[in-house]
Parts: sequence; C-alpha cells; structure tokens
Amino acid sequence: MNFEFSDEQVMLRDSLSRLLDQRYAFELRRRIMAGQAETGIWSELVDMGIVAMPLPEACGGLGGSASDIVAISELFGRHLVIEPLLPSVILTGRALARFDPAGPVPQWIADIGTGALRGAFAHEEGSGTGASSTLSTKLYEGEAGPRIRGSKKLVLGGGEAGVLLISALSETKAVCLAAVPADAEGIEVRRYRALDGRPVADILLHDVAVDRAAIMAGADAALEALLADARLALAAEAVGAMAVLMATTADFAGTREQFGRPIGSFQAIAHRLADMKIAYVKARASLLYIAALADSGRATSRDISVLKAQVGRLGREIAQGAVQIHGGIGMTDELPVGHYLKHILTIDGLFGNTDYHLREIGRVVAAA
Amino acid sequence: MNVDFDPSLEAFREEVCAFLDTAPTDAIREAGRKTTSVFAPFEATMEWHRLLYARGWAAPAWPVEYGGTGWSLEQRYIFSEEHWKRDLPPLLPNGLIMVGPLLMELGTPEQKRQHLPGILSGKDYWTQGYSEPSAGSDLAALSCSALADGDDYIINGQKTWTTLAHKANKMFMLVRTNRDGKKQQGITFLLLDRTDYPGMHIRPIIGLDGVAEQCEVFFDNVRVPQGGRVGAENEGWSVAKALLKHERGGAAHSPAIRRKLDAIRAAARDATASFGGPLSEDPVFQRDLGELEAEVASFEHVEKLVLSGHALADDPAMPSLNKVMSSELSQLLSIMMTRVAGIDALPLQLEALEVGSGVQPLGDPFSLVAMPYYLNTRAASIYAGSNEVQRDLISRNLQTLRA
Repeated sequence: MNFEFSDEQVMLRDSLSRLLDQRYAFELRRRIMAGQAETGIWSELVDMGIVAMPLPEACGGLGGSASDIVAISELFGRHLVIEPLLPSVILTGRALARFDPAGPVPQWIADIGTGALRGAFAHEEGSGTGASSTLSTKLYEGEAGPRIRGSKKLVLGGGEAGVLLISALSETKAVCLAAVPADAEGIEVRRYRALDGRPVADILLHDVAVDRAAIMAGADAALEALLADARLALAAEAVGAMAVLMATTADFAGTREQFGRPIGSFQAIAHRLADMKIAYVKARASLLYIAALADSGRATSRDISVLKAQVGRLGREIAQGAVQIHGGIGMTDELPVGHYLKHILTIDGLFGNTDYHLREIGRVVAAA
Repeated sequence: MNVDFDPSLEAFREEVCAFLDTAPTDAIREAGRKTTSVFAPFEATMEWHRLLYARGWAAPAWPVEYGGTGWSLEQRYIFSEEHWKRDLPPLLPNGLIMVGPLLMELGTPEQKRQHLPGILSGKDYWTQGYSEPSAGSDLAALSCSALADGDDYIINGQKTWTTLAHKANKMFMLVRTNRDGKKQQGITFLLLDRTDYPGMHIRPIIGLDGVAEQCEVFFDNVRVPQGGRVGAENEGWSVAKALLKHERGGAAHSPAIRRKLDAIRAAARDATASFGGPLSEDPVFQRDLGELEAEVASFEHVEKLVLSGHALADDPAMPSLNKVMSSELSQLLSIMMTRVAGIDALPLQLEALEVGSGVQPLGDPFSLVAMPYYLNTRAASIYAGSNEVQRDLISRNLQTLRA
C-alpha cells in the first residue's frame, strides 16, 4: 500500500504551486474572473505539460492517471483556479480519445492537447444527478444524416469551447456521445458564470447536424468513465479548498481576540475547529484512497459516489464553520473564505450532489 | 499509489482463515455473536485467548522477543479483518494492549519477567484502576492515596469504572503519593499482583445495558509491596500518559466497524419499512445507510493511509482523531442497529444474552444484541479520554501547528 504522490507528481505539484502563488493570487481573482488578458495562465499550463497530461500517450498526451489528475486538481482547488482544464481536457479530450479515430476526432484531440482548441462536455439537463437515465436529448436520423436536439445546462466552459461533447439518447434509447463544432448551425449558447466564477453556459441544440464519424454509439461505459473523471477531479478541487479553509480558520481563531483572549481558546470554537479537522482528514483520506483505487482501475461507481458525497457534506461542514468562526468578516466578498464556500457549493451541485450520491450508495449497498 | 496489501500476504491470510474457521469452540462463537461491548463475554473470551496463545497469535502487536507475533501492521489488519468477519470475540484489551506494552516500555526486568507471561497466555486478567468518583476527565485530580511504609504502600480510597474487576486477578492503578505542588506531580503507578488483598472490596456496577461490566473498588488500609511500582514515585503521570498512548492508538478499528455495517445490511433485507415494503428499498433508509457507508469508508481510508505509513500517520493528533472518529461511528452504527431491529429491540433479554444460557432469543440474533450494543456504546465517547477532551487536544494541536 502506498498513498503518497510519486516523486514526479510532487515535482509537478511544486512547480504548479509556484506558478499559482505568483499568478493566481486571491488579489488577482476579480481580474481573472473578468478574463483580462494579462491574467491568463493557460499557455503556462500548456508549457508545463499539464494540459496534455490527462490525454493518452497514443493521442499525444502524457497518459495521465487518476492520481495525476487528483494531484493537479487539488492545487486548482487550493487556488480557486477556473482555467478550463476539467471541461476541455479531463472530460472532452479524454472522452474523445475513446472514440474511433475517424473524421475530425483525431485533430480535435490533438488541438485540445496543445491547448489551441477548447472542449466542453454538454451533459446536464436539469436533474443535477449526471445519471444517464435522466437524459432526454435526442440523437436521431435526419434526412441528410444524424442530428441532435435538446437542451443542456450549466455546461462548464461551454461558452469558450470550440468543440462540444454532447450526451444523448438514440432512437432506440441507447446512450450516445456525439461531438460537434461549437459554431455548427443550430447551436445557441447562453453564457453566464456559476456561483464560484466558473464560466458556464446553457446550450440549446436545435436539430444540429452531426458528423457520423464523431458519434460513439453504446456509450454507457464511456459516459460512466467521464462522470468518474469529473467527480474525481471536482472532489480533488473541493479537498484543496477545504485545506485552505481549515488552515486559515485555525490561524484566524488563534489570533482574533474577543473578551480579551483568542477566540480559539473558547471551547465552543475549539470544538468546531476540531470537527472541521476531523472532516478534513476523512475527506482527504478518501480522496487519496479512491485515487489509488482508480489508478488500479478498480474504483467502482460506488467508490466515486462515496468520494463525491463526502466532499459535499464534509466540505460544507468545513466551509460553513469557516464563515461562522470568521464572524462578520467571513460574510464579505473581500475575504477568500466566502469564495471557497461558493467553490465547494458549486462542486457539490455538479454531477450529483450529496443527497443524490448518498441515496445512490445506500441503494446499491442495501441491495448488495 | 498502490491500494493493495503486499500480494505475498495472501498466503498469510489463508493461514489465518484456516485457523479461525476451525479453532474456536461453540462457546467462543456464541460469545462473539453476543458481544455488545469492547469487552466481550469474559469466560469464553479468555478461553479464546488461551487457544490463540497456543497457536502463537495471542498478541499480534507484541514484538517476538516477548512472545508476540512480530506481525507487520498490514498483517495485523488482515488478521483483524478475518477475525471480525467471523464474529469472533475480540480479546480483552487491558493486558495485551494496555499494561503489557507499558511494561515492555517502562517496567523493570523483574516486572516484565513476573507479569508479561501471564498477560500473554491469558492466565491473568488485569483491571484498570484510574478513575475515581471525583476524577474522571480530570484524572490528575485523583485522591486514592498510597503511603510508603517499610517495603510496602498502604492504600486508602476508591477507584471506579474498573472494568471487570470482579473477574480480574491483577490490577494496575494510579495512586496519590504526594499532595504538594502540581496535582500531576504526586501520582504513582502501581501494579497489584492480586485483587484479593485484605481490605480490598470490589462491587460490580450494573450498566445501562443491564450487565455488570464495570465495578468500583474500595481500599481500606490495603498493604501492597512497593515492588509493584512502575517508574519512580510521584512520576506516575508520565507513566499513565505513555499507557494512554497504547489505549487510544495502535490497533485498527475499521474491520470491526465494517462488520457492524455488514450486519445492518443483512438485517435490513428482512426488515419492513414503516410505510410498507422492504426496508432496503425505503428512500429514507437508503439515504441514511448511504451516509453510514460513506462514513465507514472514509474511516477505513484513514486507517489504511495510517497503516501504509502515509504522512497522515505522523499527525500528532491522530490518536485523538481516531478515537473520536471510531467511537462516534460505533455510536452511529448502534443507532442504525436499533432502527433496523425496530420493536424487536425492545424486549429485555438479559438471559438470552448470556453465553451458554440456552435461552432462545425472542427475535433474531441481530435484534438480540442491537439495544444492548446501543446502550453500551454510549460509553465509547466517554471512556479513554472523553470526546470533549479529545476535541480539546485536536484543536490545541491545530493552533500549535499554526504557531
């Protein structure tokens, strides 16, 4: 058994930390969210090999493992990074690599790997669960070839993407994945930001023509793998955010004085801090354990649900505790605390929230 | 990263399974099924202790030089996993986990020679005399006194929560030998090689679960030899702290906890939901079971990271973190057990719970133990340093790390 990051992973994390410390400091967050050009670090992420990392080697990537993704995503969470690594590479790029390499697909993957093209995974339709049983987008045979009709919500990076990976049901109700250029006729994009500043979009698909070579029929396993990647990466981001909240809140409680002494010396505060620490230790242990399980190819959807549920509920516990212990100042937008809370809440809502995953675990476990 | 035990340990696991499948007697198996406490039914559990001793496996955590197995942490985890899967009674912890390791660390050669063999073989059972009516969480406030007199001490006072003292033939205890200065400074650690000294009076205490597991012990001019002192006079507090380390940490708790959850799942398959239909298909139950499963899984992950030697293992707060997590998880499981048992948890069935009573339980075996386990497990957040004290330690540690 070994749950430590490898030497290579540690080195990569060290250089990424240095970059994020310099270029993604909290003070820059407003400008980063406004997309001001001088704040972008995408090209640096490309240069460091991080953008190509999650893709298979056969597609020009570095064959990144689950723990590689976790190693990077955890630091993204620590620094509230909203660069599109997850939607473009971890989700769209890795899923496209499972397609037959035909038509435009190989070029899309290559361009995603160099960072020149951005992809987005258009899946959510409103249930919030990620479950394929809730899909209603249709992939059907039109007069001049396959077309897709439906509407997608909260598509991460959907407004900036050049290629969209869309989940849909075929006429025989089989789960399919289809990729289309984002500027194809019939695609309507409504851009906005999620609670934590991530650029997202609702995407309406008005009978959009699809290249037959860019369709994966019978995509249940590929969708399952995609969702596992999404949940694992988001969970790592959440744990990164939890670490910062834990440390800054302990710091604050040790220095903030009321009634003539540090508030951390009051047992009510001390015990809440202890509970936050317990929550953090559990969440991080589950992250590392399940990353190791995923590396060995043995993480079940139940394992992934455990992780997603735990970071949802334990993350909320830590973030709400952090706001409470900071008191009034914790309610302001000027302090990072609230930004981390919103990061954690957003993550909880994506690809199945705590309630969904807990019930899903219970359903599977009770029947086992 | 690598999630697997060393593959060479599979042969070890098979060896363990072969023994655990065949060695226990019916009474031992019955005691395992009727275990509703950290302290399994005494007589059958001591019998199991002696069988394991004969196999050389009574002390998985002891070094070979003292007759232990010398097993690695992974081997110990595997043994514990297989032991719990078979509902066998866990060996009583006082000798093997508490005073034994303490003597290895701080005992004189004579004390080791005199006491370790009996602890290992299961000949002796040691009760712990720490708490007093006015010294619980604030243990250093203890007042049971020992006055030096020639080669002896004369003990006066009272101890309480001396687990199974009425079954014990040995006792380790803390006594007050000095009342000057800081309260921690006048405490001495003593080993009593008998529990029937003249002037010693042991009274069992019936607990919430209806079982006499705890006792109180009264000392009226009890004369004991000074040779039983561990460490120097008035320096028992640091000896006690070294022992607390053994009491709180070390052994993995997740195999026991996982086993409880498995029992709940199995019982839920036969239970009916309040509004009809199988309980296992009830949405509220599914969500709550899902939360328990997630919590159990995370706790397993914590313990596996620790045993793999991950940096988490070096967190100085880990013993306290583990104590709070494992005790509160046990309590959550005990609540779920009573929920699943439903009204079958309500009959008071003390005789049916006794090993060898031959009294058939009214409901199924799961329901028989659900409520006694729930009641007994209220103590898990009180003993071995209450969870409030543990949270103080965890928090203090966070603030120390900050500085």
